[in-house]
Amino acid sequence: MQKDEKHILTDGWMDEVLKTPPAYTLSNDFAEKVAGKASRRFAWQQYFREFLIYLGSFIGIIAITVAMAFTWLEADWQAWREFLLNNGPLVAGINILGLFVLFADRVLLRYFFFRFSEKTAS
Amino acid sequence: MNDAELVQQVINGNENAFRFLVAKHQRLVLHIVGRIVRRQEDCEDICQEVFMKVFRKIRKFRGDSQLSTWIATIAYNTSLSYIRSRNRKQELFMDEDIQSVAGKSIDRRGQKTLEKEEVKQLLLEMIETLPVHYRTVLTLFHLEEFSYKEVGEITGMPEGTIKSYLSRARKMLKERLEQVSKSEKTNIFTEYAEG
Repeated sequence: MQKDEKHILTDGWMDEVLKTPPAYTLSNDFAEKVAGKASRRFAWQQYFREFLIYLGSFIGIIAITVAMAFTWLEADWQAWREFLLNNGPLVAGINILGLFVLFADRVLLRYFFFRFSEKTAS
Repeated sequence: MNDAELVQQVINGNENAFRFLVAKHQRLVLHIVGRIVRRQEDCEDICQEVFMKVFRKIRKFRGDSQLSTWIATIAYNTSLSYIRSRNRKQELFMDEDIQSVAGKSIDRRGQKTLEKEEVKQLLLEMIETLPVHYRTVLTLFHLEEFSYKEVGEITGMPEGTIKSYLSRARKMLKERLEQVSKSEKTNIFTEYAEG
C-alpha cells in the first residue's frame, strides 16, 4: 500500500520535473542579433543576385551584337580573332575592370551603405 | 499572424518578421539544443546556426507540418551534427551512469534529508545524464508537448520507438529516484503529499 502510494507520488514528481525547462540561457538580445545577421545575409544575396542579372544582361547584349555583326554586317571573323589574340591582356584587363566596377557599384558599395545605415540607426 | 503569413514575410526579407519568428521559437530551440548538447557555452552559437538555417531554408517550408515542428527538426539535426562532430558518437548509443550523478548529489549535500527543490534538481541532473535520444524525446514530449506523431516527424523515429524510449527513460529516472529516497531516508514524498 505504502509502496503504491510512493509510486504515485514519484509519478507526480516526475511530471513536474519533466515540465521544468533546463537551465540553459540565451542572451537577452538574441533575437535582435540573429535577425540582424539574417538581414545582412538577405541584403548581400539580393545585391549579388542583381549583379548577376546585370552581368547576364550585358553578356546577352554583347552576344546579340556580335551575332548581328557577323550575320548581317559581314564582319571579318579572322580580323577580330587576330585583334583579340594580339591584345589579349588589354582586352582581359578592360573586362576585369568593367566587371569589378559593376560588382563594386551593384554589390560592395550598396552593402557598405547598408551596414553603415544599420550602424547609424543603432 | 499565422505561420504561412509569417513565413511569407520572412521570404520577402522583412527583418521584423524574422525577429518575431526567432523570439517566438527561441525557447523551443534552446531546450532542444541544450538538452542534446549540454554545454551552455555552445548553446548560443548552435541556436544561432539553427535560426540561420531556418532563414536559408525557409522557402522549402511547405506548411505540411507546423512551423514549430519544422524548426524543431532543424534544431534536432543541427545539435546531433554538432555532437557527432565533437567525436561523441558513442554517447548516442551508450547509457551513462546515473548512479554517479545521484552519488555526487548526495555527497555534496552531506545531510540525510532532501528538500523538495533538491530532489527536483537531482532529477533534472539525472535527465541530463540519460542517453541523448531518451532526453530528446522526454524534452519534446513532456516539456514542449509535441504529440507522438510530431516527435516522430522531428526525430525520424517510429512512434513505437518513441513510446518505448519515453517509458524506459521514466523507468530509469524513477528507479534512481526511489534508490535515492531509500538511501537518504528522505521525507520528501510525505512533504509532496502534504503540499
